Amino acid sequence: MSGFGTLNTAATGLSAAQRAMDITGQNIVNANTAGYSRQRVLLSSAGPATSATFFSGQQATFGGVGVSDITRIRDSFLEATRAAAGGRQETLTAQASALAGAQQLLAEPGDNGLQRSMDEFFNSWHDVATNISPDNTAPGAVTIENGVKVAGQLHAIAFGLAAQWSVTHDALADTVSQANQAASDLAVLNGKIQEGVVAGRPVNELLDSRDQLVRRLSELVGGVALPAEDGQVQVSVGGVSVVSGTKAQTLTLGGAGDLATATTDPPTLYWGTTPVPVESGRALGQLASLRSDLPTLLAAVDQVAVSLRDAVNAVHATGFTLAGAPGGLFFDGTDALTLSVVPTAAAGLAVASAPGTVDGSVAAAIGDLSDERNASAVLGGPGPSARWRELTTALGVQLKSLETASSVQQSVVRAADDAVEANAGVSLDEEMGNMILFQRSYQASARVITTVDEMLDTLINRTGTVGR
Amino acid sequence: MIGRITQRAISDSALRGLQASLDRSARLQEQLSSGRRISQPSDDPSGTASAMTFRSQRASAEQHLRNIDGAQGRLNITDAAVGDLSARLAKVRELALASQNGALSTEGRSALGAEVTAIRGNVVDIYNTRYLDRPVFGGTVAGDAAVDGAGAYVGDDAPVVVRISRDATVRVDVRGTDVAADSVPALLDQIAAEVASPGGITNASLDALDAARSTVLNAIGDIGARASRVESAKVQVDSLRLDLQGRISENEDIDLPETIMNLQAQQVAYESALGAAAKILQTSLADFLK
Repeated sequence: MSGFGTLNTAATGLSAAQRAMDITGQNIVNANTAGYSRQRVLLSSAGPATSATFFSGQQATFGGVGVSDITRIRDSFLEATRAAAGGRQETLTAQASALAGAQQLLAEPGDNGLQRSMDEFFNSWHDVATNISPDNTAPGAVTIENGVKVAGQLHAIAFGLAAQWSVTHDALADTVSQANQAASDLAVLNGKIQEGVVAGRPVNELLDSRDQLVRRLSELVGGVALPAEDGQVQVSVGGVSVVSGTKAQTLTLGGAGDLATATTDPPTLYWGTTPVPVESGRALGQLASLRSDLPTLLAAVDQVAVSLRDAVNAVHATGFTLAGAPGGLFFDGTDALTLSVVPTAAAGLAVASAPGTVDGSVAAAIGDLSDERNASAVLGGPGPSARWRELTTALGVQLKSLETASSVQQSVVRAADDAVEANAGVSLDEEMGNMILFQRSYQASARVITTVDEMLDTLINRTGTVGR
Repeated sequence: MIGRITQRAISDSALRGLQASLDRSARLQEQLSSGRRISQPSDDPSGTASAMTFRSQRASAEQHLRNIDGAQGRLNITDAAVGDLSARLAKVRELALASQNGALSTEGRSALGAEVTAIRGNVVDIYNTRYLDRPVFGGTVAGDAAVDGAGAYVGDDAPVVVRISRDATVRVDVRGTDVAADSVPALLDQIAAEVASPGGITNASLDALDAARSTVLNAIGDIGARASRVESAKVQVDSLRLDLQGRISENEDIDLPETIMNLQAQQVAYESALGAAAKILQTSLADFLK
C-alpha cells in the first residue's frame, strides 16, 4: 500500500469536509431567508483507480471521497400546492376587502343609516298630517328637509360605491403591472438558470428565487407553473402562457374605467387582444368586485331609490296642495345619484285628498308607507325599506361568508407553508449536528495525514536505525 | 403532524398563535368599548336584519305616540267645547221655559230674548273652537271657522283621522252636524225672537232644542269613548316601544359580564402563549455545545 495514496485519500476527506462545512454555513446563515431551501452535500466514495500507478504494486489505491452533488431540498408538489393555496387566499382577501369598503358606506345597523333617515322622512309626513294648517309650515318644511336628507344619503352611498370601484380598479391595474414585472423577472431568471445548468454551475439559489416569483405570480394572477427543460418553468394564466422560456408576455387591463359602464363593458385582462380567463389570485377577487359585486350593489341601491320615488310619488300624485293644486312629483330622478326632491316649500306638498280642503289624509297615507304592507300594496313589490334591509343583509351574508372562507383558506395556506417549511426549511439543530460531524470528519482526515506523515518520517529518517 | 420541525416553523407558529390570540382580544376589546355586538352587517347578517326591523318599528311606535299626543290634545279641547255647548243649551232651555210664564212683562221678555241672543253668540264661538288654528267641528274646511258670521254651518263634515298604532286609526274631529252646528244658531235666533214675543217659545222650537241637546249629549259620549280608546292605545304603543327597546338592546348590545370574562380568559391565554413562546424560542443546541 502506498503512503502517497493514503495522503491523497485523506486530502479528499479534508476538502469534502470543508465543502460540507461551506454548505452548512450557507444553510445556517440563510435559516431566516424567505424562500431559501436547505441544501445538502451528497458525498460519494471513490473506488480504486482503474489502473494501478507505478508505485502502487499490486494493490489498488482508494479514491477517497468526493462531493458528487449539492442538492436543493424542495418538493415541487408541496411548492405548487402552496402557490395555488396562496392564489385562492389572495382572491378571497381582495374580494372581501372591496366589499368591506362598501359595507362601511351603509352605516347599518345604527342611528346614522339610511333606514333611520327613511323612517324619519315617513314619520315627518305624519307630523304634517296631525298638525295640518295652511299657516303652520314648519312640519312641511321638516318633511322636505328629511326628503332631501334621504336623497343626499343615497347620493353619498352611490358616490361611495363609485369611489370604491375606482380604488379597486386602480388596485387591479397595480396587480397587473406587478404581475408583468414578476413575469419578466421570471423570464430573465429562466435564462440564467438555463445558462447555469448547461455550464454545470450551481443554480440552487436561482431556483429559490424562481420559486418565489412563481408563488408571487400565483398570488397576483393565479399563474400556474409547469416545469420545462434545463430547470426552467413555464407559467400560464387561465391557459394563456405568460412566461415561456426567456419570453414574458405582457398582460393589459381593458374594459370600463368607471362603475356606471361596468356592466356593459366589464373590466377584463387581455393578452394582446385575447381575453385572459383569470382563475385565481388577487386579480380574480378584484375582477369579481369590479364586474359583479359593486355593480350589483349599486343596482340594489338604485332600486331602493326608485322604489322610494315611486311609492311616495304614487301617493303624492293622488293629493292636492292646500292651495288646491293637484299633487305632482315629490321625488324626481332615475337612480340613487339623481334622486332629488321637487317641492321647495311646505305649500308645494300635496297633503289633502280633495282640492280646497285643509286635509292631511294624503300626508298620513305617505307616512303610512313606512309600513311595508302599505308600501308593497302601492308598488306591487317590495318597498324601499324592505329593499334596503335586503341589500344590507345580503351584503352582510356575502361578506361574512367571504371572511369565513378566507379564514379557512388561511389555515390551508398555513398548512401548506408548514409542509414546505418542514421539507425545505433549515433546522439549526440539524445544521449544528452536521457542523460537529463535519468538524470531526475534518479532524479525523487531518489525523490520517499526520499519521501517514509520521509513518513517512519513520521511513525516511529512521530507516537503518532500527534497534539502535 | 409534520415530522421535521425547524426553528423557523416554531417561531412562525408561535407568532401566529400570538397574533390569533391578540386578534381575539382586539375584537373583544372593540365590543367592550363600543358596547355593541353588531357594529356592521357582516358581524351578524340575520341580527342586522332584526336590528333594522326593530329600529324601524321603534321609530314608528315613537311617531304613533306623537300622533296620540296630538289626538289627545284635540279630543280634550273638543270634549271641553262640547261640555260647554251642552251647558249653554241647558241654559237656553231654562230661559225658554221661563218665557212660557204668562205673567212675564214685556221688558222681562225682551231681557230673556237678549240673553238668548248673547248665548247664541257664545255658542257660535264654541262651534268655532280651534285646535292649532283649525276649527275642531269644521272637518277639513278651508278657513278657520265652522260657523260663519251669519250663523250658517260651513264645515264639510270630512273626517280627520290620526294613526295611533300600526293597525289602528282614530277619528279625532267631531262632525259639525253631530253637535247640531248646522241647526242650533238658526234655532237660537228663532228662540230669541220667540221668547221676546208674547206667548213665549213654541212647542216645536222646544222640541227642536231638546233634539239638539240630545245630539250634543250623544257627541259627549262619543268623544269620551274615543278618548278612552286613544288612551288605551297609548299604553299599548308605549309598552310596544319599551319592548322593542329591550329587543334592540338584547339583539345588538354585548353581554357585559360575559364579554369581560371572555376578555379575561383571552388575556390569560395570551400571557401563557407568550410565556411558552419565550421558553421554547430561547433554547438552542448552541447553548449545549462547547
